[in-house]
Amino acid sequence: MSIPFSGALRRSNGIISAISKELKSVNLKGVKRITVIFDPFAENVRPTRDFLSLLSTPKISLTNPNCVIKTDVVCNRQPSEVKFSLIDSAQEKAQVKEVRLLSSNLSTLELLQLLNKHVSVLAPVEEITSKVTTKAEKQKLSGGAGAKRATKKK
Amino acid sequence: MSQLLRQATLLSCRAPITQSQRFRGKINIQRPRAPHYERAKVLAVAQSIPAVVEEPKKKTTCFQSRRRETNMENPYLTIIAREVRNWLLHSRMIGFYHMNSIKQDDLFPVRVQLHKQNMHLKSYGKEVVKKAVEGTQFEAILPLFESNNCIVFSTEQRVSQLLRITRRVPQMILMAGIVDERLLSRNEFMAYAQLPGLQAAQGELVQTLNMAASNLVQQLETHQKNFVNVLDVHAKGETNDGTTAPAATPVNEDKQPEKA
Repeated sequence: MSIPFSGALRRSNGIISAISKELKSVNLKGVKRITVIFDPFAENVRPTRDFLSLLSTPKISLTNPNCVIKTDVVCNRQPSEVKFSLIDSAQEKAQVKEVRLLSSNLSTLELLQLLNKHVSVLAPVEEITSKVTTKAEKQKLSGGAGAKRATKKK
Repeated sequence: MSQLLRQATLLSCRAPITQSQRFRGKINIQRPRAPHYERAKVLAVAQSIPAVVEEPKKKTTCFQSRRRETNMENPYLTIIAREVRNWLLHSRMIGFYHMNSIKQDDLFPVRVQLHKQNMHLKSYGKEVVKKAVEGTQFEAILPLFESNNCIVFSTEQRVSQLLRITRRVPQMILMAGIVDERLLSRNEFMAYAQLPGLQAAQGELVQTLNMAASNLVQQLETHQKNFVNVLDVHAKGETNDGTTAPAATPVNEDKQPEKA
């Protein structure tokens, strides 16, 4: 009597796979500006700094080229935080102007999870504008031009 | 004669005597013959006894990670740590930056510009810096090395040049700096760049110290100075008109022969 297979075929890398999984679903289209505030000598700034490095990678910044990442390095032992200022359509959707993550007690993975939960959801849905043209339509379009060219040659 | 014989026996290289052991037969491994008693004794003594490692019962350690002591000291890290300590001690200006992801292609022109100003861009990991810095006066910089970072060392104090170059690089974020063995925060570092040079600052100090005395002197002199200025203007005005010019010069001529 054999038990049906349950479980995973592949082993995950633990926290690294979790972070990369979250990074794949990050979408910054709804964000106008990201402000990261941290004091480098404060405690537990590593997650904030790692989060900043991850957000500034080309892959993620390409999701919204208009989004600006601004870093504020302070020296008053202020608790670190990350502020996402939303675009107008996202503001309407969420009824808030900005999303603030107070990151002094959060880990990098948690920061990314919160980002995906609150901010990536607010990205405006893009309408698919590309139309699939049939062969007959294509011929019609090119036939008219071809006929014109033929007459010109003559 | 005996010497020749001796040489012959010592240097001789005659062909070795060969005797074939086996020819085309399959070798026997599966049924080895029982060794001779003496050989058996030696083999028994030479048997390896595996080390008895006392591992706790699996019930107690099931959920604990079984990692052996793999924290071996890496001598390469000590070498690099020595290099870091050298850089730290011999640079007059050090800048600590947080590094976002940047292509080496984009970083290279920054390196070139820094090199032209006699500044050197380096990046080290936390472990190396910990080794280099633990127990020295630089222990306070350790929290800066938690995440991606880079350091700029320089034997000169061109803080404004450094800021000018790194301002153009959005991926390099200044966190702190050391100037003349003094750790400065980001704001202090930038304020230091705005300060006038040391000589100018010293001149300012001298001026401030002398201000009380110079104020008094100035108060005493103002009336005389004003009077002299007014006379000067008056005399100039009259010379422009073209009258009483000879009247002005004889006063000086009288004075000069007296001095002589």
